[in-house]
Amino acid sequence: MIWRTVLRNEWRLLMADRALRIALGLFALLLVYALVNGVVWTRFLERTVEAVQAGNTERADAIESELIDIANGGEPISPFADPRSPYVLGGPSASHTAVLDPGPLTALAVGQSDLLPYYYDVHIYTNESSSFQQNGEVENPLNLMVGRFDLAFVVVHLLPLLVLALSFNVLSEEREQGTLALTLSQPVSVRGIVAAKLAFRLSLVAGMALAISLAGALATGGFASPGRVLLWCATVVAYTIFWFALAAWVNSLKRSSAWNATVLVGAWLVLVVVLPASINIAAGLLHPLPSRVQMITAQREASNEVVNQRSELLARYLEDHPEMAEGVVADEQPQMGALIWAATDAVNSRLEEVTGEHDARRAEQIALVRRYRFLSPALLAQEVLIDAAGTGDARFASFQSQAKAFVEEWRQFFVPPILAGEQLSASVIPHLPKFRLEEEKAGDATRRATVPLIVLGGLLVIVGAGAGAGLGRVRGAD
Amino acid sequence: MTRHIIRKEFSDLVRDGRFRWCSLLVGALLLVSLGHGWVQARQAQQERAAAQATARDHWESQGEKNPHSAAHYGVYVFKPRLALSFVDEGVDPYTGTSVWLEAHRQNDFLLRPAQDATAAQRIGALTAAQVLQHLVPLLIILLTFGALAGERENGTLRQLLATGVGRRELAWGKALGISGALALLLVPAAAVGAAALVVGSPGPAASPFARGTVLAVVYLGYFGAFLALSLAVSAWARSGRTALVVLLAVWVVNGLVAPRVAVDLSKWLHPTPSAFEFARTVEREMATGVEDILPPDRAASTERLLREYGVESVDELPVNDVGVYLQESEEFGNRIFDRNYGALWDAFERQGAVHEALAVIAPLLAVRTLSMALAGTDVEQHRHFATAAEEYRRDVMRRMNGDMAANSPSGDFSYTAGRELWEATPPLSYAAPTLGWVLGNRALSLLVLGGWLVGTILAAAARVRRAEVG
Repeated sequence: MIWRTVLRNEWRLLMADRALRIALGLFALLLVYALVNGVVWTRFLERTVEAVQAGNTERADAIESELIDIANGGEPISPFADPRSPYVLGGPSASHTAVLDPGPLTALAVGQSDLLPYYYDVHIYTNESSSFQQNGEVENPLNLMVGRFDLAFVVVHLLPLLVLALSFNVLSEEREQGTLALTLSQPVSVRGIVAAKLAFRLSLVAGMALAISLAGALATGGFASPGRVLLWCATVVAYTIFWFALAAWVNSLKRSSAWNATVLVGAWLVLVVVLPASINIAAGLLHPLPSRVQMITAQREASNEVVNQRSELLARYLEDHPEMAEGVVADEQPQMGALIWAATDAVNSRLEEVTGEHDARRAEQIALVRRYRFLSPALLAQEVLIDAAGTGDARFASFQSQAKAFVEEWRQFFVPPILAGEQLSASVIPHLPKFRLEEEKAGDATRRATVPLIVLGGLLVIVGAGAGAGLGRVRGAD
Repeated sequence: MTRHIIRKEFSDLVRDGRFRWCSLLVGALLLVSLGHGWVQARQAQQERAAAQATARDHWESQGEKNPHSAAHYGVYVFKPRLALSFVDEGVDPYTGTSVWLEAHRQNDFLLRPAQDATAAQRIGALTAAQVLQHLVPLLIILLTFGALAGERENGTLRQLLATGVGRRELAWGKALGISGALALLLVPAAAVGAAALVVGSPGPAASPFARGTVLAVVYLGYFGAFLALSLAVSAWARSGRTALVVLLAVWVVNGLVAPRVAVDLSKWLHPTPSAFEFARTVEREMATGVEDILPPDRAASTERLLREYGVESVDELPVNDVGVYLQESEEFGNRIFDRNYGALWDAFERQGAVHEALAVIAPLLAVRTLSMALAGTDVEQHRHFATAAEEYRRDVMRRMNGDMAANSPSGDFSYTAGRELWEATPPLSYAAPTLGWVLGNRALSLLVLGGWLVGTILAAAARVRRAEVG
């Protein structure tokens, strides 16, 4: 009963305060703006993915009709690129592009999708240095530096400010106006009053954020992965509660509204702005990433070595790959094609070695760096939000390793005819390897989010317990 | 009298625990970021210089081969870190570090450091520029919001004015007192920055000290504008609390909202093609030509050579027809690349101009642009280097094709050149742009920042004149 009274009273108070009305209206506006931005970006990615896939079909169709034409007595279009040769059919002109669909909730969080590559051309010459070191989307570096105005940004950076504006004086104001003693003369506890007031405000803020998020998921088909939507919503709510709990705790310290405001803004500044930046600097000092510049040099040296010993390569290749030897051994004279392939293969495996070392060291450093995110709820929330959206590092890494596996599959298909000096015909076209993205399982993102969410929950419990204990000590006479 | 006000304001602030803690924090962050930036920039520059030397060595010791094979082998170049990049790393993490220069094609810069980092690292790295652009203004707000509003709330404003102090004097006194307190923080930081340049410049740059001086002036202008704005709001607001809320809102819009809105606006006004479209267009135009840029015709090229030298067959030509043809196709390709990459860079530049224009509502955008420009880490100076690298590539290709054309007979594919030719091809020597070039490109930001400074000072003067006493 008293709760209903408190809530109704709160609603009236809120609507009477022009500044808060403006703040809430502004927040709604920013949410909508962020969502529109995200939807525009998702559509851009979808169009590109479509064009990439159309390119795959086009290339396959063109080469098929050329092969049929040749079988019927026609001539190759270019005398230097006879598509019957496995070098040509497996090469760049008939390549297959492996592509990653936009993350299910890209409209909510652009994340890394403007920075990391989401498609790779795959053909027999695809290797670590030529193909996997590439830039993602064409984007102004200035824009990449600043980042996008998406819902994840609004939630992580701006939402806490609204929470603080709504709750910095939730108790102190009652005391300053002298209404606290009056309220507490009713059969209610301080905890109950503050909880009711904050619950009301929480439902407003989180409600708005969730409504816009769900609308975004609905508009861009995000509900195809309900687990991710749920994870997103849970994170938004937990993060919002964290800030309300912090405000309650500060209020329980029985200081003035002005003091509360200063401390809370300071907390926001430290947790959202200063700490993440300081963590990045500490990470750079303590766990520097291995140098790509040195890797380039190492790659170059690796391929130079191989080129210098080209003649020995075929023998070694056949030793390593006896399964490939049949076609070659049939001939007395090792063929030109086999020799060239042996060199290419040797370069590739040296490159894989060099890059593999680099990647392993990078993975180690990143694992160390990621521990520090537990220091800042903003970093935790950001990580889980973009991971839930499918625009985080993990999904891109999984795509890249699938693309690498596909390169291997492609080679396996074309190397035997290369070594055997065979010619191919239109009949192989339906059997060409095709890239099929193995999407993460529903539970994968949730599993990755478990520890960050538990830590965020832990922070919440600590702050909430502090608030509860502090509020228990507040008396009407204070 | 003003002297007394300055002294009072200064000692108030220096004794105030809040100010001491905040300044200590900001000062510590500033020094740490400067130090870290310097170490890191030096390391990166040494590494790149070493890699550049190795790349040159690879080129010179590539052995005997046909010049066109050498052209395909190509050479890597690494972008140098300029001296002041330790203050502001700018867009460097988002531009590539290295480009492979090879025959027939202009490659992209690869290896963006940000691609190797995690998503969390995009929230922002702590650089001196970040501290100066975000945290110092916040400190100014905290120091200033109560300057007049607080005196009014306490009722001391009426007393002060009753002693015969002019309002203008009072405001100047407050402003100078606060500036003095800030100087305690900023002067040592500037000294450390300058010392870092003297002790060991992280990398090459045209006139680092001139650039550094202008950089300091730019930041002082920015702080001045914030100080004046805070005073104006403090004079206008009924209570200290209102002044603080308004100023914090300004700070959030300036530092968080406006920069990202500028990104969307710039993309919307000046869209760039997707990477896929871009690559496709270049590929298509390379294959078939576009407008009046047409691919060279091998037969026509040979025909022309025969006419030019007045001979009947290619065997009699004093030059290698393939070498001549290869150079012709290089030049055709160059025009295609200029057309496409030129359009892309121009679009980036127009997008940058949107960011600069939006500085009208957020001075951060002006000061950030100027800071990156002076540190040599903005998009324009990346383009400057990329252009130099591409010019160099074209020069190398011209030399390779020229050698092949001049020194081997037509039809001879067994011709090889050696170390002499590789050594005769000079290494890339890059001269960073001059201060005049940099500032000339950034006139709009200079103008807007100046406008902010003058505008806020006028606003402060007007508000102080009309400030109510209680």
